[in-house]
Amino acid sequence: MLNYIIRRTLYNIPVFLAIIFVVMAALRVNDPVSAQLSKNPTEAEIALKRAEFGLDKPFVVQYWDFITELATVWDYDERSWDQGIRVSEMIGKAVPPSMAITIPTLAMSALISICVGLVSAFNRGKSVDRTLMFLAVIGMSISVLVYIILGQYFGAFVPGQNIDGWPFQVTVDASAGESAFFFFNPKNWIAFCMLPVMINVIVSLGYDTRFYRAVMVEESAKDYIRTAKAKGASTRRVMFVHMLKNAMIPIITRIMISLPFIITGSILVEVYFGIPGMGRTLISAINSKDFPVIQTFTALFTALFIASNILTDVLYALVDPRVRLS
Amino acid sequence: MLISRRTIAMGLLAASTLIAGPTQASEKKDLKVMQLPIRTDGPKSLDPVEGSTTYDNMACAQFYETLLTNQYASPMEMEPLLLAEMPTTEDGGTTWHFKLKDNVFFHDDECFPGGKGRKIRSDDVFYSLKRLADDEYKLENWWLLADTILGFDTYKDEQNAADEFDYDAPVEGFRKINDLEFEIVLQKPVYRFLYILGMFQTSVVAQEAVEFYGKDFAENPVGTGPFILDTWVRKQSLTADRNPNYHEVLYPERDAWSREDKRARLHRAAGKQVPFVDRVEFTMFIEDQPMWLEFNAGKLGYTQVPEDYFTEAFDRSSKELKEEYLRAGMRPHSNKLLDFTFRGFNMEDELLGGYTPEKRALRRAISYAIDLDEINETFYNGRRIVYDGPIPPGLDGHPEGGTSKAAARGRNITKAREMLELAGYPNGEGLPPIRFYTSQNTLNNAVAELVKRQLEEVNIKFEAVFSDFSTLIEAINKKQAPMFGFAWASDYPDAENNLALFYGPNEAPGSNHYNYKRPEYDAMYEQILTMPPSDERTAIYEKMRDMILDDCAYVGGMARERFYLISPWLLNCKPTERYYGWFKYLDVDDSKRE
Repeated sequence: MLNYIIRRTLYNIPVFLAIIFVVMAALRVNDPVSAQLSKNPTEAEIALKRAEFGLDKPFVVQYWDFITELATVWDYDERSWDQGIRVSEMIGKAVPPSMAITIPTLAMSALISICVGLVSAFNRGKSVDRTLMFLAVIGMSISVLVYIILGQYFGAFVPGQNIDGWPFQVTVDASAGESAFFFFNPKNWIAFCMLPVMINVIVSLGYDTRFYRAVMVEESAKDYIRTAKAKGASTRRVMFVHMLKNAMIPIITRIMISLPFIITGSILVEVYFGIPGMGRTLISAINSKDFPVIQTFTALFTALFIASNILTDVLYALVDPRVRLS
Repeated sequence: MLISRRTIAMGLLAASTLIAGPTQASEKKDLKVMQLPIRTDGPKSLDPVEGSTTYDNMACAQFYETLLTNQYASPMEMEPLLLAEMPTTEDGGTTWHFKLKDNVFFHDDECFPGGKGRKIRSDDVFYSLKRLADDEYKLENWWLLADTILGFDTYKDEQNAADEFDYDAPVEGFRKINDLEFEIVLQKPVYRFLYILGMFQTSVVAQEAVEFYGKDFAENPVGTGPFILDTWVRKQSLTADRNPNYHEVLYPERDAWSREDKRARLHRAAGKQVPFVDRVEFTMFIEDQPMWLEFNAGKLGYTQVPEDYFTEAFDRSSKELKEEYLRAGMRPHSNKLLDFTFRGFNMEDELLGGYTPEKRALRRAISYAIDLDEINETFYNGRRIVYDGPIPPGLDGHPEGGTSKAAARGRNITKAREMLELAGYPNGEGLPPIRFYTSQNTLNNAVAELVKRQLEEVNIKFEAVFSDFSTLIEAINKKQAPMFGFAWASDYPDAENNLALFYGPNEAPGSNHYNYKRPEYDAMYEQILTMPPSDERTAIYEKMRDMILDDCAYVGGMARERFYLISPWLLNCKPTERYYGWFKYLDVDDSKRE
């Protein structure tokens, strides 16, 4: 297995390098210096900015510099153009708040949607199934922004005005201070994170439920389910033991695809609820054309996706003895 | 067993600390704290020489101070801040004499011996101004002092060419008399110098702090301001505590306030030492909804009223605050901004540029065909002020009633057709599409559609090119945008600042985005630079304004009126965007928070 992991990692290095190359080249189609200039820029100021950002060097040199910087990740010194601080420091501060939202979201949405998918599949064609799928389609059809705007208004603002001690807050205020782990305090998590998590779960339920239902429907038509029923296994046992176990491969795939988002965060929820996470950091960097931050995030996301793909294959082998890693 | 008990005890302690929250919070409970919004992701830097945005200004002004500042009661007027009195001039305005206040100390900070802030002195002023010339700081704000102080341009060039920037090297125009008195000699009289000395980029910093913090100085402000930084979580929040050693600054006297201000009880703290609050907490809001909801929940002291929420709080036609807001004790306030929003022409463009009668006629045809009033009514609820010329309302040189005879003010279809014929495109025949560059957002998309429809009536084809803001600036800086939508907020309340937008040497990438070049205009601009306010200067302003209007270098302009709402618990609040040193005058009444 170790050999397999090493080999897959090596195979993915060119993919990793190519993605960074393409993103860096695409970013440089337009001149980023314009976004960083003062009100009355002179040619001298523009030249100084260009030199400071290293944009006066040929593209290949810029690419090489970035890759060598990545190679020494333990001493990563890329600095944000917009803020002048280390990108590693920005990521270090942004990951924990994102995780305070994404880990509960992933766990809750996977748990609920698998259960709903199972129930729906088992009652295929019946009113329970139709109702659940109708709700799922509605959930998928409404923009995430609508959930956020309405959720913030009716989930925090209105009850906050009318009910003493209502726990959910509209947005994170200055009291959060500098601690990256502020949101891991249970009281703070309930105040600032629980509502965003609930919104995220509702948003993802539509997609996930339909996916898991499809998986379960396929499984429920298989011979072993008929055999289990014929042997007199209870409904609960058929669903949660036989069917669920055999549907683990697509479930693992779906969850593993979502894993990198634990780190990358969710942009809109973070922006609206004032969560200082990765999504909010990234969108600010994109708006201000802060290339070192965008490039570093790209490298991080790419590495996470590659790692989660490899991990998925490893998990396949663990849950299904027929799968051999070679 | 002992270890496990200890572990359990520590675990319980940690858990109780987590649930109870930090003890600091309870200590701060009895303090007067005000919570205020910053409507975007906030400042980029807390170093004045690196700052350029409104939000850099808003943050820096809490920690640093300038020699002069705007008056809180009348923000268009200047008054001394770090100075004991207004500067005096000699040699017809060339030599400026300054006297610092005797009791101004920098914040206590570890960069000073014993951690005790020292008194400011003349050398600090010279040092702070010299930092603007140091290319270590990318010369972002050098334009404020370029070609102004005697020998300063030479000093800048010499020091930046040398191996090391020598802050001790002399500048001919900086003359120290003693620790509290000094003179600055200008190359020639420049009236705007008065306003420059009130701009936050010229704030006084301590050399010890810059050297002690090095690269981190931008996040460790050590100034003389009313507040001392507590925490700055970038793009998130900024908190600051009252400076216990703040020098004597008194709340404006009763007579300084207008009758309307007095009705709003703004004079209630007249003559008292500021600041009144112990702590200020700023929260940054990238989106308007959370800011608006937080304000309505009573958690913010004031808010700008976002366009989308205007009719929720105000009557659309009368602009009066609605009954429910009045009942809740909220107070409205509005400011006419020194704004100039326009659709500019690149005067070097092959199709739209040039100064021949035909080229001028083409631009005027476009201008006559566009109806700014319709745009104002359709998209801004009629809340923008449409006016002729680049000089916003409230400044000398603004045309009476907002209209000038020299302007090609639309909509006048007959005139537009006449001009098209004169330009050599009768009924628009043979005229290529006009490419208009603007930044991408929903509003601009809709406005562009309306302009397209208006121009179609005279057979002018209009092609909008949408891009993000930095791409738009790039196109303008590289003179690639034939026509472009842009805006300018005046740096100081003098029309000279707006007229500089058409000064030839300021061509792109400078602030003359139109690349407008007329030697006679440039000569007049150089003349007004040296003139104090007078009827003679205003007459020249008007001449310059009409010259630009006659050449039709842009279609416009418009100025915004900004509406604010103020919570009942925030006292003394008269928001202004002319400067940001006014937060020290605010007070809170916690009994009105519920």
